[in-house]
Amino acid sequence: MLQRILALVIIVFFLSRLFWQKKNKQIGVNEFVFWLIFWLLTGVLIICLKWIDRLVASLGFSGSGIEILLYLGIAVLFYLIFRLRLRLGKMERDITKIVRAVALKNPAADESAADDSVKSRREMEL
Amino acid sequence: MKVIAVIPAYNEKETIVKVIKEVKPLVDKIIVVDDGSTDDTYRLAEEQEVKVLRHLVNRGQGAALQTGNQGALAAGADVIVHFDADGQFLASEIADLVKPIKEKEAEAVFGSRFLEKKSEIPWFKKKIILPLARMVNKIFINQELTDPQSGFRALSREAAEKIEIVNDKMAHNTEIQYKVFKSGFKIKEVPMTVIYRGFGQRFKGGVEIIKDLLLAKLMD
Repeated sequence: MLQRILALVIIVFFLSRLFWQKKNKQIGVNEFVFWLIFWLLTGVLIICLKWIDRLVASLGFSGSGIEILLYLGIAVLFYLIFRLRLRLGKMERDITKIVRAVALKNPAADESAADDSVKSRREMEL
Repeated sequence: MKVIAVIPAYNEKETIVKVIKEVKPLVDKIIVVDDGSTDDTYRLAEEQEVKVLRHLVNRGQGAALQTGNQGALAAGADVIVHFDADGQFLASEIADLVKPIKEKEAEAVFGSRFLEKKSEIPWFKKKIILPLARMVNKIFINQELTDPQSGFRALSREAAEKIEIVNDKMAHNTEIQYKVFKSGFKIKEVPMTVIYRGFGQRFKGGVEIIKDLLLAKLMD
């Protein structure tokens, strides 16, 4: 019981942070709605843990409800990483398009800009 | 027919001048694509009075080749030759690659290390990496050229216009072959010699290529 209360307190904390960020316009509407649904759903699942236990048992799984939730959580994380990977890939391609456009527009390219880029990379390496 | 050599170069200050000097008399024009080098490659190439396109940041060999292709097409190329800047290829073999296109025998010509001429390919590469690469090509493009990772190739204007290289890194070899086959262009392989100065593409690089190919498939 204590664990569930702790989990709910943590969720309330994250929800309050979420509303605070929305109030200060630090996140967009879509992101706000996504995280609101995410945390509310998590809260509901924690409240209904006993019911999930019964559901899981009736489906023939040997683990408890919380274990199944953890497995689902990991699956969701993998999916999100996969989505992130695709998004990164698209960003990489977009960067290439910009770099190519600059190179083709001015064959000599903007030497000073390139030197700046080299300098900043060297600084990062240091 | 206007033959333009595209030479992608990333930190090749040791070899770029020699390569340009060797290639220059054999083609109508050279386009060096400096892929964000942090050494003197750009300056050295410019001193050779060839066209140098410069990537402000490093994007990979595939990206540099596509930039070079676009530059060459804009410059009126009829044949585009891809030539490495590390001095592993023989400039004298450019004519062998260009000939089938000039004679309308092919629209894409790939150099192969596994035909008559013998390159001294490191054992691990010859026996493990390249057979694996051939298998990957078979899986991804259902075609089997004798040299799946050859970077020495010539494309006709039509082929270069049709093929857009989207794999920025080393997966471009497989991608180009795939797109050439898919577009129905006539293909020819000609023997080439590779002078190994280092090991070249390592096993890790091969894994990277497979990863890039899978990612590209998912993104398309």
